[in-house]
Amino acid sequence: MLVVDELKKNDPSLRLVALVLAGGLFILFVGLWWVQVVKTREYQVHREAQAYRTVRLPAIRGKILDREGRVLADNRARYNLCLYFDDLNDQFKKEYDQIRPVKISVVSPPFWKFWSNARTLQTNRVRLKTGEMDEVAVQARGNVVSRAVAELGRELGEPLTLDLKKFTRSYAEERAMPFTILQNLDETQIAKFQEKYTGGLGAQIVLEPEREYPNGTMAAHLLGETVRETEGESLANEDAFYNYRLPDYVGKTGIEGKYNNELHGRPGVANVLVNNMGYRISEDVDTPPQVGADVTLTVDLDLQRAAEDALANAIQNKYKGNEVNGAVVVMDVRTGDVLAMASWPVFDPNNFAQGWPAGEYEKFQESGAEKDRAISENYAPGSIFKTVVALAALDNGMNPGEKYHVEANPRNPHHGAYFFSPKNFKEDTAPPGDYDFLHAFIHSSNSYFMNAGLKYAGIENVVRVAQQFHLGERTGVFAGVQETHGHLPSLGAVRSGDWRAGNTANVCIGQGEVDVTPMQMAVMVSAIANSGAVLWPRLVEKITPQDFSSGIAETNFPDTQVRNRLTVRPRSLQILRDAMFYDVQGDEGSGRSAAIAGLNICAKTGTAQVQDEHNRLVGHNYWFASYAPAESPHYAIVAMLQSPTLGGSGGDNCGPVARDIYEAILKKEAAPKVVAKN
Amino acid sequence: MTVDTLNEHESKLERLQLAAVLGLMIIGAMFIYSATMSGAVESQKLWYAQLWFRQIIWYALGIGAVVAVCSVSYHTLARWSFVIYWGMILCLVAVLIPHIGQTHNSGARRWIDLPFYQFQPSEFAKIAFVLAGANFLSRPPEELKRPDIFWKAIGLMALPFVLIKKEPDLGSALVLVPTGLVMMLVAGTPRKFIFRLVAVVGIVGVLFVADEVFAPPHWRIKIEEYQRQRLLVYFGRDFAAKDASEGDRQAAHRLQEDSSFQSKQALISVGSGGLLGAGWCEGKQTSLQFMPSGAAHNDFIFSVIAEEKGFVGSVTVLTLYAVVLFSGLRIAGQARDRLGKLIAVGVVTLLFSHVFVNIGMNIRIVPVTGIPLPLLSYGGSSVLCSLIALGLMQNVYIQRKGY
Repeated sequence: MLVVDELKKNDPSLRLVALVLAGGLFILFVGLWWVQVVKTREYQVHREAQAYRTVRLPAIRGKILDREGRVLADNRARYNLCLYFDDLNDQFKKEYDQIRPVKISVVSPPFWKFWSNARTLQTNRVRLKTGEMDEVAVQARGNVVSRAVAELGRELGEPLTLDLKKFTRSYAEERAMPFTILQNLDETQIAKFQEKYTGGLGAQIVLEPEREYPNGTMAAHLLGETVRETEGESLANEDAFYNYRLPDYVGKTGIEGKYNNELHGRPGVANVLVNNMGYRISEDVDTPPQVGADVTLTVDLDLQRAAEDALANAIQNKYKGNEVNGAVVVMDVRTGDVLAMASWPVFDPNNFAQGWPAGEYEKFQESGAEKDRAISENYAPGSIFKTVVALAALDNGMNPGEKYHVEANPRNPHHGAYFFSPKNFKEDTAPPGDYDFLHAFIHSSNSYFMNAGLKYAGIENVVRVAQQFHLGERTGVFAGVQETHGHLPSLGAVRSGDWRAGNTANVCIGQGEVDVTPMQMAVMVSAIANSGAVLWPRLVEKITPQDFSSGIAETNFPDTQVRNRLTVRPRSLQILRDAMFYDVQGDEGSGRSAAIAGLNICAKTGTAQVQDEHNRLVGHNYWFASYAPAESPHYAIVAMLQSPTLGGSGGDNCGPVARDIYEAILKKEAAPKVVAKN
Repeated sequence: MTVDTLNEHESKLERLQLAAVLGLMIIGAMFIYSATMSGAVESQKLWYAQLWFRQIIWYALGIGAVVAVCSVSYHTLARWSFVIYWGMILCLVAVLIPHIGQTHNSGARRWIDLPFYQFQPSEFAKIAFVLAGANFLSRPPEELKRPDIFWKAIGLMALPFVLIKKEPDLGSALVLVPTGLVMMLVAGTPRKFIFRLVAVVGIVGVLFVADEVFAPPHWRIKIEEYQRQRLLVYFGRDFAAKDASEGDRQAAHRLQEDSSFQSKQALISVGSGGLLGAGWCEGKQTSLQFMPSGAAHNDFIFSVIAEEKGFVGSVTVLTLYAVVLFSGLRIAGQARDRLGKLIAVGVVTLLFSHVFVNIGMNIRIVPVTGIPLPLLSYGGSSVLCSLIALGLMQNVYIQRKGY
């Protein structure tokens, strides 16, 4: 071999040279082996890291559908006009060369043309320091982009100016990403751009999905708030780090918030190849995003609309001039399905997802529309709580036929009063006279029910029955999110020495130590209607994955989940139901304003005083808790209005709201079934 | 049958070496193509103006030079060697004069612009030195023991060294040192002279580097700032002084990143090539301009080959050089006289120094220096000189013993 030959040569000097050569080449060989074979992984990672930028691609959010598959929350395409910096790079360079300082000097001819005397003028660039070069480069980029934006503005026929700050930030941090200069182009703008744009400005229309609620304010509280985040956090099961994140939607409240993980889908990853300057060279999708799952609600869009229209009609037309808010819950008493759930005032969830028009957000905050009054506020139930007292008293020996004499109020002889002692009495709104259970119920005699509570049931039994309805606990309709548990005194509290007869009397008429939500009342009425099954309300019927590669199975939430069965005697329930029937259908009933032909409605009305912390009267809660039809109960409707100024009774104010909804139910049941397209 | 008669049947030329040289030239043209064609400017030029084609022209001219060099006996050339040597010294002086020497925006005055050609005298000075040195050292070995001859030999080497360093082109100047030393060793200069010299040069060198890298500013011997930075990068030292303010420190770090950029990117290129490489023209480092487009086809051509052809490609290149170098040594062994032997050894050492320093800087064995890789790097002067040097070696082979 060549090398060995040389080493064997009988010339010591040459042999030494050969040895050094062989050693040198061997060092290079080992070095290359080390760098290219042993450590190659390290360098490959390094190369990838400097040449690739990862981009988080948000998945398209799942839809929210009503029980018949009608869309409540959807996505639509939004078109943005964007600039790509990589396409402008050549122009940046050109502009840089044009605006950089130059020096003009006289140049002698080269020495081999020593005979020539022609001197020429030469324009030389001034040598710049690093800092100065940066300044010129920033200036050049600003010029080019400003011009491009202005030019695009001319093409679109509307003046556009560059937000220099936004551009600087975007160039520094997201150089490989499109830079948005105009959001949400309409069709005319898109058409104009396609017609007039000839290229060369790096402009492109980029599509992005936008969360949309096609029914506007409909079911706003139920659906919840979804906001667009650019600096969001990664989900639990995805990469934590990305170079860039595209804006993603995150549900904060309502169904959007509760089922955000399911609706959200799984984000994908794109790799953008960049050059040494950080400009985009090419781009490929590494992992495609997986579309989020659809969530089907138990809500019926028709009934939801009817409930909201009824509320709106009452508040905006009938009681115009009064400050009124309220809530409605419609429930299937057989299954616990929530068919409608409305709250007033309303907001438009599109504003959260798509951005607020000027001044709207302040209005929204002032209006208090963010509260879902069906579940997240405590309300004194007033007389509708008498249903609980009635069951407790009837079950403990009260004879419904026995007459109870209500004395007249010494201060107001047309009204009755309940006397704890000759000097200590509570005023009543019902007139004095003799009352049996039915009449006491439909006239809502406070004195009768205070007596029933104090003499027959006793506060402990009232609390026990209320506990069987799970009052004072969350109904679980949103599984704890945003829901309040109302208030009910514990058995311990009512047994303590602090508890007075006056407290019991207050509780017996749904005032004082008891607070409820319209949703709790719907569950309660449903239990009365279905002969004693206290149900878990169901709001979500199923979750249907759209991307089956995700491996997530469809989730069905079963209906008719019985939480508890009332232990009261069926006869007591029957007596209560009969009384509720006469409250609407009887001529003297407090709820007869809700009566409609063709449907037997059963109800209890209520009016509760709202007091501030100094026990001053600040307004009233008006209630109408009902179910229908009386023969085979199907629907429960609880309507609640609250106002500091509105007068009248629960029956007068809320009865018509419930009636409107029952009418819509009748109309819907009469109409031939239409299977909606998904 | 004697060895002599066997040689009669052998070729006039050292065929193995020529084959290796041809291989290197093909690789050179291919990878200059790969290193430059991803750039928009270069690929839009007409094909005959593109760098890979111009390199082929230089190869052709170089082969012409080989033929020219081989057509005259190296003895004749040696007789003219001092004229050539002093001619080149004159050029080296001329290049230092502004308006004659050009900088081409590199900060170093290394070129003389001729019509159609940027002449780089330092490259030719290396050949001139080998020829003159061989001629000077081919005197009888007894004379080499004389100190005055020894010092003259040192002077012969020192003169171009100082002039080239003045440009500044420290890398090119430094390769003269091993070349000179090896030629002196092979010529028969007493070993103790050489070892002393090596010891002195070594100690001075170490002290110099240590001074530049570790000493406080006013203790340092003045060299070009970029040369000092390269040393700092090589030794992995922080640019910022210990007592620097935060602003200075940041500026220093930025400077550090800029100066270590090339060497870092070269290392990434070589390392990411792996065993087999990304494939010809598939290298990302040049197409994405992480490897600066001015350097990729030039001093850093090896990183392009290593990235695109991997360890296999690197070792192929290394093997081709090994063939050229060891066949060169065989030529030295077979040379008819000491002059021939010294010419061959000088050329071999010169080529080896280039190869070792250039590939070494790609894998950070040596600091970055502007030294071309013979035959592979783009550049007229480098290609011409490499081929002339190889021509000299072939010339020695043609007139070898017993032929």
